[in-house]
Formats: sequence, structure tokens, C-alpha cells
Amino acid sequence: MKLLLLLENLVGARLYALMTKETRQILRDKQQLFLLMFPPIIQICLYGFALSPDVQDLRLAVTDECNSNKSRELTSALVENRVFKIGKSPLSLADMMKGIERGYIDAGVVIPPDFDRKISQGGPASIQLIIDAVDANTAGITQGYATQMISSYGRKLASTKRVRPVQSEVTYVYNPGLISAWFFVPGVLGLVLTLTGSLVSSVTLVKEKDSGTLEQLLMTPADSWEILIAKIVPLLVMLNGTVLLALCVGKVMFNLPFRGNFFLYMFVSNIYIFVVISIGIILATISKNQRQAILTSFFFNLPLIQLSGALSPIESMPDFFRMLSYLNPLRYYIQCIRNILLKGVGFDVMWKDISVLAVLAVVLLLSSAARFRKQLG
Amino acid sequence: MKKIHAQCKKELNQFVRDKLTLALAFVLPVLSLMLFGFGVRLEIKHIPLVVQNFDQGSLSLDLADRLFNNAQFDPHLWPGGHPLENALDKGFAKAGVIIPPDFSRNIRQGHQAYFQVFVDATDVNNARVMKNGIIGTTDGFLKANNLISSKTMIEPNIRLWFNPGRKESLYVVPGALGVVLWIFPSLLAALAMVRENESGTILQVYASSITAVEFLGGKILAYLIIAGVMAAFLILNANIFFNIGFVGDPTPYLFGVTFFLFSAVSFGTMIGTRTNSQSAAVQAVATGGFTTSLLLSGYLYPIRNIVFPLSYLTILVPARWFVQLSRDSFVRGGGWSYDWYLPIFLALGGLFFFRIAHKNLSTMQLKV
Repeated sequence: MKLLLLLENLVGARLYALMTKETRQILRDKQQLFLLMFPPIIQICLYGFALSPDVQDLRLAVTDECNSNKSRELTSALVENRVFKIGKSPLSLADMMKGIERGYIDAGVVIPPDFDRKISQGGPASIQLIIDAVDANTAGITQGYATQMISSYGRKLASTKRVRPVQSEVTYVYNPGLISAWFFVPGVLGLVLTLTGSLVSSVTLVKEKDSGTLEQLLMTPADSWEILIAKIVPLLVMLNGTVLLALCVGKVMFNLPFRGNFFLYMFVSNIYIFVVISIGIILATISKNQRQAILTSFFFNLPLIQLSGALSPIESMPDFFRMLSYLNPLRYYIQCIRNILLKGVGFDVMWKDISVLAVLAVVLLLSSAARFRKQLG
Repeated sequence: MKKIHAQCKKELNQFVRDKLTLALAFVLPVLSLMLFGFGVRLEIKHIPLVVQNFDQGSLSLDLADRLFNNAQFDPHLWPGGHPLENALDKGFAKAGVIIPPDFSRNIRQGHQAYFQVFVDATDVNNARVMKNGIIGTTDGFLKANNLISSKTMIEPNIRLWFNPGRKESLYVVPGALGVVLWIFPSLLAALAMVRENESGTILQVYASSITAVEFLGGKILAYLIIAGVMAAFLILNANIFFNIGFVGDPTPYLFGVTFFLFSAVSFGTMIGTRTNSQSAAVQAVATGGFTTSLLLSGYLYPIRNIVFPLSYLTILVPARWFVQLSRDSFVRGGGWSYDWYLPIFLALGGLFFFRIAHKNLSTMQLKV
């Protein structure tokens, strides 16, 4: 009994010593530490401020050859709700065409001289609308908006009855102000965790291989799983720090709501941290040096991020990639934290996502640890 | 000149020797281009929609039918009784429509009729698209049932220039070329530079008679060659898989791409001279290069949407100018008269990064 206790103590002390060594190694490299803390903040701010899919303030040019009351009314109907704004007007038709060609103007309207006459005759009066479609998605939305505004103005001309007999009352739930940062920040958190976590964990493992100190570690009485745990635990603590830091930045900079349960958030995040560390370990086992580890980490991380819905919605991906994304742990993680932060739903709603994530974490962790131990032996 | 040549040859030898790195250096950019090109779609389809119809009148059924028939939506039935919020909370649907019991009656009696729509606005862009889709469908419904005049007073003739079929790959792929050709050349160059710091071989360089300019020149030239091969390979792939080719005069692009790659490699080398470990260099390249080229280049969303102080920062991001050049050359059909300034900007950017890298290294002495 006493012997067992002694043994346990010894193991504990050894593990503790190894962990101290790892922590010191991480803390000693000031540049590395700075780079662990600084990029997440910068990235979240940048993504939040720079990524905005809004279709608004499109530069519209109008060549009004009719120049009547009604044609001017049509122009003002188009710029009524901030989707379009009119730049330097009036332009000649040739200038307008050139502007669209060079990309200074997003859309151009030509109102022909007979516009007024056609309307007094009971229509239809045709106008020309040219849209720069280099950006296919924006062009589609622009087209939709413009047609809607033109037809609603046309209806106004046609009848005196102003109210539509059926009104749809649209309510935006979860994000009534339509703040795009609320969509991106949870996605970027997942992205940052993936990039930083897998990179740092693979590099700390490969470094020992690279410099040959791994053999020295193996010669010590420490068991291979002790070496592994000692490497994982400090990383776990640090990545938890990253998660909290990201949350604070989101709150301070973007007023990101936190509607769900904090412990559930930390729980899910920790499952994902294990996934990320396992990816790092796998990377470390297949690469011989740091450069290879770094390049292979890009090889894994790029598809992981692209197919996660962090930046562009999963619903709009082609079917094949949508199917593929079901295998992606990051997809589940981002979905969960968006649910917790924005929707405020709990375990009862997300249990499926969380269990899939947990299964992926366990499988990845076990297989990566097995691979690592095999390589040590 | 001889020394630059020798240094360049040494770098290329070192690069070719590591087979896995060599393979990754060419597979990775293509993989990323494929992912960006095939995987990134902004236009949304298949939005799960539930309709809760409390009215069994023919008008409400017609409205529900029309919503279900809209190609944007994937219809799901949501039997009455359960609150509709559950459908959104559980992620079962992205939009929910409630048609009240008096809907058809109100219309028939000439009263104002309402129906309620809940839109999951977690994804902001989609939320707007869903709203527009529902309003459009309502319009169609009103016209078909003669509730509003179906006579069109104004007929817009819409022309979509440059990309009439609205193929998204035509937008995404030229942009992605800019992002990919920034990340990988700068990453490889940074790793090559920082490795000398890490392994201490930089001291041997200091001790030799080579000057900073020759040393940097050789390194940058080597990686410029590698990046050039990469670029040609990528453009070939873009041509094969996405049917993207030069529209108009390709010479501005050829100059532009050379200067852009020079900027990327110099940027990587600059980072390499400043950092002291490979993982630190990668972090720095990822933050300074990857993030900026992805976000501030206008590759995904228009630059004018970027908020005020950051929008001026984009001027300093070479990828922004290159993405513009790429789109002009592959989609718009630019030519020198339109794009004469872009290669110049890119060359200036490259010289700027080279200058800083040179400054970091100019003494060729160990820093104390």
C-alpha cells in the first residue's frame, strides 16, 4: 500500500517536472508567446471590421435623357434606401460606359427620351440597366434590389392605392441589427484556434525531434505517455487562454452577445482544443522537420477552414463540399459556439453536434497518441 | 553578379533536396486554388424554410405553394401547435413563415392582410437574401391573384456586363490567385531565411565575403524562380479547371505578376530576418501576410465595405492591387491604358520590403 503511494508520488513528481520544463520552454521564448497572444486579437478585429458582405452604397450613375418629373422621381426612388448612391452626376452616356468598364461605377441606368410619353400612354416604358457583374454575387443582389425598386415605383405610377393588400412582417431574430461581425467573430475564433493550436503543438513536438533532445527524453525514466501529457497540458492551458481572450475582444470591440451557458461554451471549446492538439500530434508524426510540419499544417488546415462555414456559409457550397463538411470537426465547433453565443440554446439542442465533435476528438486523440508512442518506441 | 548566382543556386539545391517540401510547395497552392474556386460560393440556395399555415383558405395555400416552389428555399413542413421558434432554435430551418387564420378572409374582404416571417439573422448576408426572396414571392403571389395590377409600367432591360452568366468562379478564382500567390511564396522565403538564423549558418554567411545585397539578392532570386513556376502552374490549372484565361492584352499582367511575386518573396525574407524561430516566422507571415491578403485585398467582399481606418490600410496591401489586376486581366479585359499604374505600385511594394530586409541585415553582424 505504502509502496503504491510512493510510486504514485514519484509519477506525479516526474510528470510535474516534465510539465514545468515544457511550460518554461514556452514561456522563455518571448517572441513565440507574443505571437500566440497577438495574432488572435488582430485577426478577430480585422475579420470583424474588414469582412462585410453588405450590399450597400453601390455607385450608381444615371443618364437621364428624358429629364422629366417622372424620370427624376425614378432616380430618387432608386437611391431611397442606401443600396445605391449617386456619384458625380450628370455624366454623358460615354462617360458612364467607360466608368462601368473600368469599375468606377457598379451600375448604370439609362432613361430614354420617350420615357415620359410611354408612361402617359399607359406603358410600358423601357429603361436600360447595366450592372458590372465581375462580382457575381453582388451583381445578383443588385439586380434583385433594382428590379424590386423599379417595379414598386412602376406600381406607384399605375395605381393610386398605395398600400399593398398583403404585408409580410419580417423579423430578424438573433441578430436584429444585422451586424456582420457577430457572424464572423465566432468563425474566426475557430479559425484562430485551429491555426495556432495545431501549429504550436506540432512544432513543440517536432523541435525535440529536430534537435535530437527527444532521444535524451526517452533515456529518462519517463514513460512515453508522460512525455505526451506533459506536452499537452501546458498547451491546453494556453489555448484556453486564447478562447477567453477572443471572447473578451469580441465583447469589447463588437459588443458580441453571450446568450448561452458559459460552462457549455468552455466545455465545447475544450473538446475542440483536444481535436486541434491531436491534429498537431499527427502533423508532428508525419514530418521530419519544422518546415515540413508547417507546410503539412497548411495542407490540413486550409480545407478544414474553407469547408467549415467560418467565412462563407455552408449552405451555399456545392453539394460535394457540403457533404465533405460533415467530416469536419471545425464545422461542428463553429456551429456550436454560434449557437451558444447568438442563439443562446443549450445542450438539449446541440447534443448531436457536441457528440459528433466529442467522437471525432476521441478518435483523433487516441490515434494520434498511438502513432506518437509507436514512433517513440 | 557571380555571388548572387552562386547563392541562388545553393538555395535552389537546398529547396529541391527536401522532397516532401518540394511536393507540398506545388501541391498546396493548387489545392488551395481548388478549394477557393470550387468551395467558396457566396450565392445562397437551399435555405431550409418552414411554413406554419393556420389558415386553410385557398389564398394562403397558394402563398405557401409559391414559397415552397421558390428555388432558393428547401421546404419543410412544420405541423401546427409547436412554436415556430423551436424550428429556428434547433437549426431545423433558417426562416419561418406564419400565416394567421384570418389571412384569406382579410384579403377577400379587402382588408389589409399580414403574415409573419422570422429570419435567422445569424448569417447576416443570408438574412437579407431570404427577406428579398420572400418579398419577391409575395409580389408574384399578389400579381397572380390579381390583387395588385400586373401591368408593368416600367420595364427594366438588364444587362450584366463582363460576366453575364454570373459565374461565381469568374470572381473568386482571379481573386484567389492573388491570395495564394502571396501566401506560399512569402511563407517559403520566410522559412528559408529564418532557418539560417535558427541553425546558425547565418554566422558563416556573415563571416564570408558576400555582401547583404548579394546574399538577399540570391535568396530572393531563387524564390522568385520557384514562385514564377508556381504561378505559371496555377494559371494553367485555373485555365483547365475554371476556364479562366486572358481577356485582352496579357502584358500588364505578366509585369504585374513578376513584381507581385517579388513583393511576396521580399516580404517573406523581411519577416525571416526579423524572427528567430520557424514557428514564429510562420505566425508572423500568417498574421501579416495571410490575414491581410485574405481580408484587405477585396478578394471576397468589396473593398468599399471595409470600415474607415482599415480601408486606407488596404492601399499598403500589394494583394489588393494584384487582385484588381487579376480581375482586369482575366474578366474585364484591361490593358495598359487602364492598368498602367498597377505594376508600378507592385514594384514599389517589392522595393519597400527589400529595403527593410536589407536594413535588418546590412551590418552583416551578429546582433547583441
